[in-house]
Amino acid sequence: MGSIEGILSGVQLAFSIEGILFVFLGVLAGTLIGMMPGLGPISAIAIMIPLTYNMDPTVALVLMAGVYYGAVFGGSTSSILLNAPGISGTVATSFDGYPMAQRGEAGKALAVAAIASFFGGTVSVILLMLFAPVLSSVAIVFGPPEYFALMVLGLTAISSLSDGSTVKALISAVLGIMAVTIGIDSQTGTTRFTFNNPNLLEGIDFLVVALGLFALAEVCALIINRNQTSKDRKSLGSLKLSKNDMKDMSGPMGRQSILGFILGVLPGAGATIASFIGYITEKKLAKKPEEFGKGAVRGVAAPETANNAATSGAFVPLLSLGIPGSGTTAVLLGALLVLDIQPGPLLMSEQPQLFWGVIVSMYVGNLFLLILNLPLIPYIAKILAIPRPLLISLVIMFSMIGVYSISFNTFDLYLLVIFGVIGYLMRLFKFPPAPFILAFILGGMMEESFRQAMTMSNNDLSIFINKPIALGMLIAAFLSFTVPIWQGYRSNKKNSA
Amino acid sequence: MKKIWLPTLALFTSITLAACGGGEDSENSNAEGNSSGDGNWEPEQSLEFVAPSGAGGGWDTTARMAAEGFEEQDIMDQGIGVVNKEGGGGAVGWSYIAGKAENPHHLFVASPPLLLIPLNGQSEYGHEDFTPIANMISDYGAFAVREDAPWDDLNDLFEDMKDSPEDITVIGESSPGSMDHIQFVKIAKEAGVDPQSVKYVSAQDGSTMTNLLNGNADVYSTGVTETVEQVRAGEIKVLGVTAEERLEGDVVEDFPTATEQGIDETFVNWRGFFGPPGMTDEQITYYEEKFKELNDSEFWDETRDKYAWNELYMDSEEYAEFLEDEKESMQELLDEVNVEEE
Repeated sequence: MGSIEGILSGVQLAFSIEGILFVFLGVLAGTLIGMMPGLGPISAIAIMIPLTYNMDPTVALVLMAGVYYGAVFGGSTSSILLNAPGISGTVATSFDGYPMAQRGEAGKALAVAAIASFFGGTVSVILLMLFAPVLSSVAIVFGPPEYFALMVLGLTAISSLSDGSTVKALISAVLGIMAVTIGIDSQTGTTRFTFNNPNLLEGIDFLVVALGLFALAEVCALIINRNQTSKDRKSLGSLKLSKNDMKDMSGPMGRQSILGFILGVLPGAGATIASFIGYITEKKLAKKPEEFGKGAVRGVAAPETANNAATSGAFVPLLSLGIPGSGTTAVLLGALLVLDIQPGPLLMSEQPQLFWGVIVSMYVGNLFLLILNLPLIPYIAKILAIPRPLLISLVIMFSMIGVYSISFNTFDLYLLVIFGVIGYLMRLFKFPPAPFILAFILGGMMEESFRQAMTMSNNDLSIFINKPIALGMLIAAFLSFTVPIWQGYRSNKKNSA
Repeated sequence: MKKIWLPTLALFTSITLAACGGGEDSENSNAEGNSSGDGNWEPEQSLEFVAPSGAGGGWDTTARMAAEGFEEQDIMDQGIGVVNKEGGGGAVGWSYIAGKAENPHHLFVASPPLLLIPLNGQSEYGHEDFTPIANMISDYGAFAVREDAPWDDLNDLFEDMKDSPEDITVIGESSPGSMDHIQFVKIAKEAGVDPQSVKYVSAQDGSTMTNLLNGNADVYSTGVTETVEQVRAGEIKVLGVTAEERLEGDVVEDFPTATEQGIDETFVNWRGFFGPPGMTDEQITYYEEKFKELNDSEFWDETRDKYAWNELYMDSEEYAEFLEDEKESMQELLDEVNVEEE
């Protein structure tokens, strides 16, 4: 069967009443769940699984895909308004989104996020449609040496995530790497730093660290500084984006929708790395990089475009190879198996309607998301008008619910509080939390892929040089680390001369 | 600035203390049951099936299908809730159940990791700390290589491994010393490969198949079902499965067993239900009967077909004996692989 015919049958499915209804329900549920601090796409899909048990598999997949990208779409809300990222993919959004909200531009920040998400989501679906069959071979190019190099490249961002002392940023990153080593070591099975506590065997979940360091630390600061808080943040600001803003956004959106999609295709890289790398590249390209971290429109647009683009990208290995590229797509794969769909290399030719139906439904879904989200922004942003004592309690409550829903384990709640305290102390002594979380996310994968690569090569380091992709990324990482230092040195010299 | 340190330290200490206490809270309030003398016991509250893993895996599917079967077939009067207790390859779920001692309303699903993980020193609880109730299904391991790989059967592969083990990378999902590693070592050892020389890489992020396909790994040790789609697509071939006899089903019937290739060894991925420690005979009997009824039902037959599971029912007593034997052979293998700690 030709793919045109397949695409047509997919269009037919996506535009059937059932298709439209379930895509709508999916994105609605997803975006609402995603907006809650602490609840991300994994929880959203897990909630939906029991509902789909007796559904038609195609419709169920359309619904669950909708829940997935809907949750990523909505995920920026809690990052921007409350500094409480619910998924790792929206941590980078909080770097500039939260300062914007604090400045009284919450409405604008949300609008930028919605438009960027829509753009990233739509462009990547087009790419998915055009290149899915070709890309399946790209998706498996990356092995341990390449992932190691990619993680190193990601880690060089640390220097650009500090707005003061580079030393403090590096210390913060080292702490992040230390925290991620807790748990069973994947390559030897040894338990590390668990103090014989079974709750630590699996390591610490990302969400515990993110909500602790960001949301709870912010709450601590609000409570302790409550007497000196000056003006209320009740103003939501105008939703309208100026021509200038649009111009500002267009560059990052164009670049990051493509870059994000490519990173999303690689199993294991996914939305988080796409959003960080998107943020960093845009900061490097920006004419005024010093605006980043203080509420730059570009700083919101870049990660939001990238993470939504990566989400569609993640469907390439899942649908064309049956390989889950992330924790979320792994849960999705489990749900598909329950429905008797076994994604694999033959899915596209054997069940073209399902394959293309899901992809076409993503256009519709993204459109729904934009229509749903834009008019809702004024109401959502009203969250900030909630009296502060109540708002603080709500943030604490939702953070607790989010963390508890990962493992249903009260131990994680204690950890959350500990990370809240650590986060507050870090703020107090001006250690930026962003490098900590970046190192925590990338460090684990970096170590694992390094050691896998070393085992495969019988401890021969040349494995990183013999692979062109890995070598290229390592060189890029080296340059991205040394060039700023060299430039700094040169401008110092000039000044002193 | 100094003033902040003291309260923070106090807070830290109190949290740490609270955290340490948290593990031991025992809520066996309704432990007494109602074994009311007449030899019959029935649960007096709804049941909980624990899958010590996340949603969507083998343990989770088994627990959910069993719960659905009990409900659909009206085998049990009480409602059943399935709960995921993820972490430590099962250890978190096991320590949860161990804390439910004498409350026989909490059962859990287990398979060989219940033996292997404690042997590797990663869990303080092992199978002897729980009450085996019934084994419900079995599954087998498969060893796959790329379609264009130079080996056509297990003996080819193992001959090359004897000559230059450092050239052949075996990849699997589980950590070293756990299932994917041990099932391979068990078969390879019988064929004369030195267990310690097997170069095993663990990839727990779902990249195992990717790494087989892109050539970073040479052999993929996994479950039979995981290989089916890629075999159908002509990307990989299965050199051998760990079952005693040929499996039934569309693609899997073409997979040769290790036994028929002259390697007299098998590995069973059994899966069944366990209860907390200290269950009475009446309670065990009650559950045994119910699980037997489920096992014999048409529903379970269809479920086995759907997931390509095989029938392997054992009652509590058989199960306990089987587990002792299995544990012994696992212990021997682990000693030879020498991945065991301390």
